[in-house]
This record gives sequence, structure tokens and C-alpha cells, in this order.
Amino acid sequence: MGSEEKIKSTRRFDVCPVTETSAGIPLKDVYGPQDLEGIDYKDDVADPGEYPFTRGIWSNMYRGKLWTRRVFTGLGSTADTNERYKYLLGKGASGLYCFGDTITHQGIDPDHPLAEGYAGVSGVSIVCLQDMYHLFDGISLEDVSVSFNNPSMAATVVYAAFVAYAEEMGYDLSKISGSILNEPIHLVYSMFETNAKPLELAAKLATDVIEYSIKNTPRWHPIAPNAYDMHEKGANAIQEMAFTIAIMEEYIQRMIKRGYNIDAFAPRVSVFGCACDIDFFEEICKFRAARKVWAKLMKEKYGAKKAASCRLYLSVHTSGNSLTVQQPVNNVARVTLESLACVLGGLQSFDPAGYDEGYYILTEHSALTSLNIHNILAYESRVASVADPLAGSYFIESLTEKMEQEMFKIINKIDDMGGAIKATESGWIGSEMDHELIKEQKEIEEKKRIIVGMNEFTVSKEEEVPIEVGRDRPLEEQMATSKKREDEISKLRETRDKKAVKNALEDLRGQAAKGEDHNLIPAMMESLRAKATLGEILGVIREANDASYDPYEVIQYSL
Amino acid sequence: MENSSRKVKIVVAMPGLDCHDRGIVYLSHVLREAGMEVVYLGRFNTPENIVNTAIEEDADVIALSYLNDHLYMIFFPRVVELLKERGANDICVMAGGRIIEEDRPKLKELGITGFFGQSTPTPVMVEHIVERVKRERWKEN
Repeated sequence: MGSEEKIKSTRRFDVCPVTETSAGIPLKDVYGPQDLEGIDYKDDVADPGEYPFTRGIWSNMYRGKLWTRRVFTGLGSTADTNERYKYLLGKGASGLYCFGDTITHQGIDPDHPLAEGYAGVSGVSIVCLQDMYHLFDGISLEDVSVSFNNPSMAATVVYAAFVAYAEEMGYDLSKISGSILNEPIHLVYSMFETNAKPLELAAKLATDVIEYSIKNTPRWHPIAPNAYDMHEKGANAIQEMAFTIAIMEEYIQRMIKRGYNIDAFAPRVSVFGCACDIDFFEEICKFRAARKVWAKLMKEKYGAKKAASCRLYLSVHTSGNSLTVQQPVNNVARVTLESLACVLGGLQSFDPAGYDEGYYILTEHSALTSLNIHNILAYESRVASVADPLAGSYFIESLTEKMEQEMFKIINKIDDMGGAIKATESGWIGSEMDHELIKEQKEIEEKKRIIVGMNEFTVSKEEEVPIEVGRDRPLEEQMATSKKREDEISKLRETRDKKAVKNALEDLRGQAAKGEDHNLIPAMMESLRAKATLGEILGVIREANDASYDPYEVIQYSL
Repeated sequence: MENSSRKVKIVVAMPGLDCHDRGIVYLSHVLREAGMEVVYLGRFNTPENIVNTAIEEDADVIALSYLNDHLYMIFFPRVVELLKERGANDICVMAGGRIIEEDRPKLKELGITGFFGQSTPTPVMVEHIVERVKRERWKEN
């Protein structure tokens, strides 16, 4: 034995420091039968596949069908994305994911002055019908589901282009499946607000997609509201779901005003794109509670008769915000934990974030790792064998019940304010989210929330486990990518039949003035076939509705 | 003397079309708590309107944030250039978000400081701002 001082563990008697959920619900040391008081199995929980679907929307869950195993995709050009699609399909992916680039979200074209440097960067640029040909070259749309992450008014154009492409390719539209985000209201507090305004017009266009889709693409989900971004921008687990449900009510009420019975469309509009953060049990209960709230609302408030109207499909991108740039390899553990919560929460689809999400869009290696998190959970771990295995747990049932109550409180409050658009315009939802965001960041700084490698258990850069991460393209390359895309669109403008485009756009303009109930999707498809662009299509619609042609008021209509 | 004890006035903005504003929402809160006067421009700004605002408001500092991609290497130098053109180089420019290591020397040369990221404790940011403004005001007197 040497005489030097021995190293002692300073953490030997550490206790679990957490006494509440991430959203602030107090946690007891232990839960027991008394915590189930007031919870009725048949009314509040029920078997999987039975109303109110707390335990999942299908009776045998993953024995009937595994969740859709997607991986985040959206790279530079449509051709690059197409190549990645083929790679992922070859490795076992069952669905495709398409993330738009910044300017597609903004609804401006690559040759717009503010688009310089942005086209085809951190997402795929979709501007015209031709882009669909490049994106899906060699892939059968009848045999794969496609999920478009287009949130803003641009979503209506992307959907119209997708359907026009599918028609031209001779696909059976009744066999096309997938979803499009298509929910602009949330953008006001989370992302590209410029292209979500005027809000009433944006909500009308999103409703057009819903209406067109239930008639023409019956297996498509025409709206998949983005709970994810609201969570990442501050909303806690309860608010995330409550705000999203309140937003969905805006569209439900519009469809009812257009004369549709709730059961005619509700089954197609009940898909949410949520986050799944690191608070394991809270996230599981969030999913269970949200299904229950949705089911009750559909049946009790809107009078749905069909079970399908009450089934809420949940899909997730695991929380990018929960990941660290320090020690990226640790993110594999985080993402796995979050993915497990998705499975135990009974989700229909999710994509595990790449461990290098904090750096850049996934590399081929990190995408493969994410895909294999799916594969390990689905095929190796046996966690998916039994439907809702956590049901009956004193803790899980009691937390689910509590979260349901809290969600309803918020939903009713927004209802009293006159709905989600009013609560957005008044700034209430935004300020609630800012409040949560500030609280969370403060807790991180005060180490009340531990993030390994970031505010505790830190190591120097040299000590980190070496792992490849996505890298930004150098600036010159980014500018060149964008310039190439700009040139493609300029060329399209020069070579197309100008008269045909102008006629189509003027017709669209006329139709766009016909008011809330006049569906614009067919006229948009006509414009796309005549080679009109995203910016032009939205521009004339905006002008017909007393808004500026360009959301940034930089360019004018020039045909 | 009066000049050096005046409240620090800071314009907080993101240039370009990046939408990742979590950082500046929190930062602005922290700066206000620290007694500074924050002019919050938020997302979607051009270098021109950031500089115009800073001059009109007689600000001490422009705090720029950018995360999504590489275009900050165009926007940040443009802000400095515009300040020079307008004879307002006494306004300190700081940057944060996701500014990759390799780009920092070039930005430092232009007088941009900070380079705060995801894990920078906010007291470090506040101290940096206070110190830099103090030095700038001392130069002026």
C-alpha cells in the first residue's frame, strides 16, 4: 500500500435528484392502489384498440404492424435525396421522409433575392412539378409511404405537385399513402411565420388540402400538425399536446363549416408529429393521455360515431433539443431511450434523431445508426411483443390521468379565448411557451436539470470518444449549391411557355378570390402543369386575398 | 462618468432566414435581468435593418445569433462593413449560436467577439458584454 492519498468516490451516496416531471408534475416516492382511485378501467383505460384508446389504437399493436421506421432525410438537391431514399429502402426503411429547405418553407423561389445561399441547403428544395420527378425517380409510390415535412402555406403547393406527379405517372391515387405536415398556425411561434400569414388564408389553404385529399387520396394524411416544434421551442409535454389539439380544432371547425360530417374527415386528420424528450415516463404518459383527450373530444364535443375518428395516430421525431454537441456518441443512448418511450407509448411511426443532429444533417453513418435503433427495438429487443405493457402500473395510470386533466384545462382555456388562431394572435400561446423555455434554460444553468457532458460530467474535447459527425459544407460549396438551384429555376422560367403559365396563374388568381369554401388545389395543379413555381402560385393567391405578392415585399409579380 | 454608468443597450438579432431562436429568446431574458436594455429584433433580419436599428437606437452592442448553416460568414462581416460605412464602428459586434471553430479567426479579425454556444453559461456572456462595453466607453472618453 502506497502512502499517497487514495481516490474516493464523491458520489457514493448520491440520491436521485428529481422530484417532479419535466412539465412540473410532482412525483411521489412510490405509487400504490390508492393512486388508481377514480380511474375506471373500462371508461378511462380500456383494452388496446378500444375507445378511448389510452392503451393504443389497435388491439394487438405491433403484432399487427410494426411502427413505420423512418429516418430523417432531406439533402441538397432532389437527386441527392433520391439517392439517400434508395439507400435507406435497401437497408430496411419502410417509409420515406422529406424535409424541405428553408426557402421552400418560406414559400419563396430560389431566385428570390433573400434566397441567396439557402436553396437546397439543410433540406430539399421543391419549387415545381419537375422536382417530384427527380425526387421519386425509380421509387414506386404505391409501395412506400412518404412523409413531407412542409409546414407553411408551401405545403399546399407541395401536395398539389405530389398528386399531379402521381397522376402523370399513372399511379392509383387510392393507393398513395403518407402524410404532409400542412399546419401553418404553429409557425407563428416556432418557425417560418412569414409564410403563415395572413393566418386565416393559411388555414384556408391547409383546409383545401384536407378537403381535396379525403376525396382523391383517401389513404393520405393531409395534415399532421407539428407538436414537435412547439415542444422544441419551449412547450412542455402537456402544453405540446394541448396546443396542438386546440390548433386542430380550427381545421375541424372549418371542415364542418364546409358541410362535412366529422366522421367523413376525422379519420384522416388525426395524425400528430410530436417530440419525444428524455423524460421517459412523462413522454409515455403524454402519448397515452393525448390519445384519450383526442378520442373524448371527437366523440363528446364533435359527435363522432366512427371509432376511426377517435383514433389518434402518433408519430415522433425524437427531441433534437435533448441532444448535445459534446460527446455526440452519448446521443445514441439518449435517442435509444427516447425511441423506447415511443414504442412503449404505442406510436405508429417515429424517426430516431441522428447522434450528430447538433452538427448537421445526418451523415450516411449516423442515418444507419438511427435506422438500426429501430431495428434493434423492433427485431432484437422483444419490447414490441405485447401491446401497452405498462398499463395497470399505479404510476403510469395515475400520471396519464393527471396529464389528461391538465391538457383539458389548457384546451378549454383556448376555447374560451375563441380558438387557437385568436390565442396565437393575442400572443398568449407564444408567451406561455417563452415562459417554459426560460424556466427550462434556467434549470439547466442551475444544474437542476442535468445534461451529461454539457453541464455535468463534462470532459475536454480531447477526452471525447472520437466519432464522425456531419459537417457543414464550406461556405463556397453552400453558395454554389444554392446558385446551381437558382440557375435551374431561372432556366425553367426562360424555357417554359410563358403564355400558358400566365393563363394558368391568372385563372388561379381569379379562383383564389372566390372565398373560403372554394378549393384551390385543382387550379394549383393546373398552374404546376404549366410550369409555374411555388413563389408564383402562392404570390397570386396572396394578392387575391389582399396580401403582398411576396411575403417579404421585395419582389413583384412579373409575368 | 455619466457615460460609463449608462445602462448597456443591446440589439439582439438573427440575420437571414434561420429560424432557430431558442438561444436569443433566453439570452434576451438574461440580459434584461442583468439590467441591460434589450432591443429585440428576433428572426429574419437583413444586415441593413440590424445596423439601422442599432444606429437609431444608439446601441452599445449588436448581438448576432445564427445556427442553421454557414451563411453567417456573409451576414456577420456585412454587419461590420455597414457599421464602418456609417461611421458607427464604436458599436460592438458579438456573435453566438453555432459558429464553427475554423471561421472564428476571420470573424475575430473583423472585431467580432463572443462566439457563445449551447453550453456557455450566461454569466460568462453577461460579463463579456459588460467588459467590452466598459472598454469601448473608456476609449471614447
